[in-house]
Amino acid sequence: MLLTELGKKEKARIVRIKRQGRADIAVRLTDMGLVKGVKLELIRRAPLGDPLEIKTGNFLLLSLRREEAEIIEVEKL
Amino acid sequence: MKKSDKAKKEREILVALAGNPNSGKTSLFNSIVGTHLKVGNYPGVTIEKTEGALKYGGYKIIFVDLPGTYSLSPYSPEEVITRNFIVEEKPDVVLNVVDGTNLERNLYLTTQIMELGANMLIALNMYDEVLQQGTKIDLKQLQKVLGCHIVPTIATRKQGLDKLLEHIVKIYERKIVIAKNKLSYDPQEKDLTVLAESRYAFINGAVKETVEYLDKPIKTITDWIDTIFINRLLGIPIFLFIMWAIFQLTFKLGEYPMGWIESAIVFLSELVSGVLPEGWFASLLVDGIIAGVGGVISFLPNILLLFLGISFLEATGYMARAAFVVDKLMHKIGLHGKSFIPMLTGFGCSVPAFMACRTLKNPADRITTMLIIPFMSCGAKLPVHLLLIGAFFPEHISGNVLFGVYMFGILMALLSAFVLKKFLFKGESEPFVMELPPYRAPTIGYLLIQMWIKAQLYLKKAGTIILLVSIVLWGLTTFPSLPEDYPGEMSQIEYSLAGRAGKLIEPVIKPLGFDWKIGIALVSGVAAKEVVVSTLGTIYALDDADIEDEEATALKDRISSDPVFTLPTVLALLVFVLLYVPCLAATAVFHKEAGSWRYTALYFGYTCGVAWLAAFLVQRIGSLFF
Repeated sequence: MLLTELGKKEKARIVRIKRQGRADIAVRLTDMGLVKGVKLELIRRAPLGDPLEIKTGNFLLLSLRREEAEIIEVEKL
Repeated sequence: MKKSDKAKKEREILVALAGNPNSGKTSLFNSIVGTHLKVGNYPGVTIEKTEGALKYGGYKIIFVDLPGTYSLSPYSPEEVITRNFIVEEKPDVVLNVVDGTNLERNLYLTTQIMELGANMLIALNMYDEVLQQGTKIDLKQLQKVLGCHIVPTIATRKQGLDKLLEHIVKIYERKIVIAKNKLSYDPQEKDLTVLAESRYAFINGAVKETVEYLDKPIKTITDWIDTIFINRLLGIPIFLFIMWAIFQLTFKLGEYPMGWIESAIVFLSELVSGVLPEGWFASLLVDGIIAGVGGVISFLPNILLLFLGISFLEATGYMARAAFVVDKLMHKIGLHGKSFIPMLTGFGCSVPAFMACRTLKNPADRITTMLIIPFMSCGAKLPVHLLLIGAFFPEHISGNVLFGVYMFGILMALLSAFVLKKFLFKGESEPFVMELPPYRAPTIGYLLIQMWIKAQLYLKKAGTIILLVSIVLWGLTTFPSLPEDYPGEMSQIEYSLAGRAGKLIEPVIKPLGFDWKIGIALVSGVAAKEVVVSTLGTIYALDDADIEDEEATALKDRISSDPVFTLPTVLALLVFVLLYVPCLAATAVFHKEAGSWRYTALYFGYTCGVAWLAAFLVQRIGSLFF
């Protein structure tokens, strides 16, 4: 499933960062520590519905847009 | 500093600070060097370069605070600068500041510094938070794995600094040897995905071996605050309230010191006129230099308070939340949530704001954001707003009027972005992925130093460009001097070169309700926005001398008694100054960043065109009511 399909407070593990389409998004995600195997939790959506906020590792909060979250394939934990 | 220069000054150690944004790198830098710092720019770019030095153990240790980066991939100019500095300047020690609470992500940069073979020393920062979170790090083992020394630090409380300095000297003296063959992968790997994955594999291995996290995840203070601050319902009202509060603070609190500075300037000009014999020199000093530069300096408190507010938002971690809250809106007008940060920086100064646009990879996003930044009222425009609002609006609504001016600028920026993105610059936006750092209480010292840096930059501007412009303008308004037997009614300023130029453009600005005096101020305001104030100061000071008004009154009172300033005209002028082309320095930076005359022409024409049109409408509509 895709990261965007997670519900609030649901936890998942990254299975794959899709490499199709925009290469710059994948590079950016990698720089920020979003790589295969990383566990994450969907914390909330912004007041206007987008972007999303996720927690990875133990304390790191990241925000990313729906279109970026869509290239992240996850498995629910 | 080049290596060759350094051979001559042997007892110098060059230390470069590298680290992730929000790792406390700048905090650590400030804690080490205090106020002994030099602010400048990297050659060719306007990314701030801060340098500081101190004496320790018989050495002069020079610290350079490199821009905060997550990586050294040539993804952004900050990353390029950091990499180039390490490779080309070959600092004796690269001090890698690592946020201990985010070890895995921070170590990603560390592996890349290791790949460059630098003499690295790690400051494991925020060590207090690490302990609070119940995380146990086996420092000895981690040192072994990474091949370099690690010093736990708490930058905000100045802990661990002595030990850092001690290590720096030892590394320089080769008493600490850095093992440079610790990486478990080939850094020459061509496939970037494979390389990134190998780096993380190495990091995960290192962390698994040395770090023990608390089993049950704890709800942090940040989690609690965020449930309110970026809550679905309250997120936007809180955002608006915080922005509003900052501008109220700027205005209300700034009023007092501003009054003191104004009285000091009046006192100084009276003193100088009393001591010096009447003549062109006294006039140059009083009407040119003191009136011009003094007018600018009197707004220093407001500007400092505004920057204090912006630094506060950045240091507490709210700034990123603000971008999070408004991204959808930015996305709607075709921009990136990150465009919000240059736009917000634009409230301080367009120069760094244009530069901040470099972080926007997408050319369409970038040029659009750059074109709308001029509408974000910069710190230099604030004095003009303050002067006009202070002179023509009752005190109890002045804060609201100022807020309205800023909001109007934002509105014009959003509208422009929408139109530009829709018709001129079509294209995809760049990635938004962004860290929301934990909320942290900023230290007063940090905020004061940030304010002091801004004060330095502002006063440097006042001392150089504005001094020069004040003198030139004084010359333009004084020469040629009006012959004593001039037939008919004519004041000196009207007769002068400046008056003639102002009159020349008068037909263009007449529909806005502006006269030639405002014309002169606006023309000179292209040099620097504060100059609008100093020019009015100079013009009205000279004009008053004509009608033999001996008392040096505050500029506010002088302009409010001029009949040309009707309410619609004041509003139109506020709008015009808000929107028209930024100062020469900013324009030069824009040109360099945009890289084409076509864009610079568009920028000049667009800002001036919009300003004229908006001011015209305000004047027309205003005249119907007042």
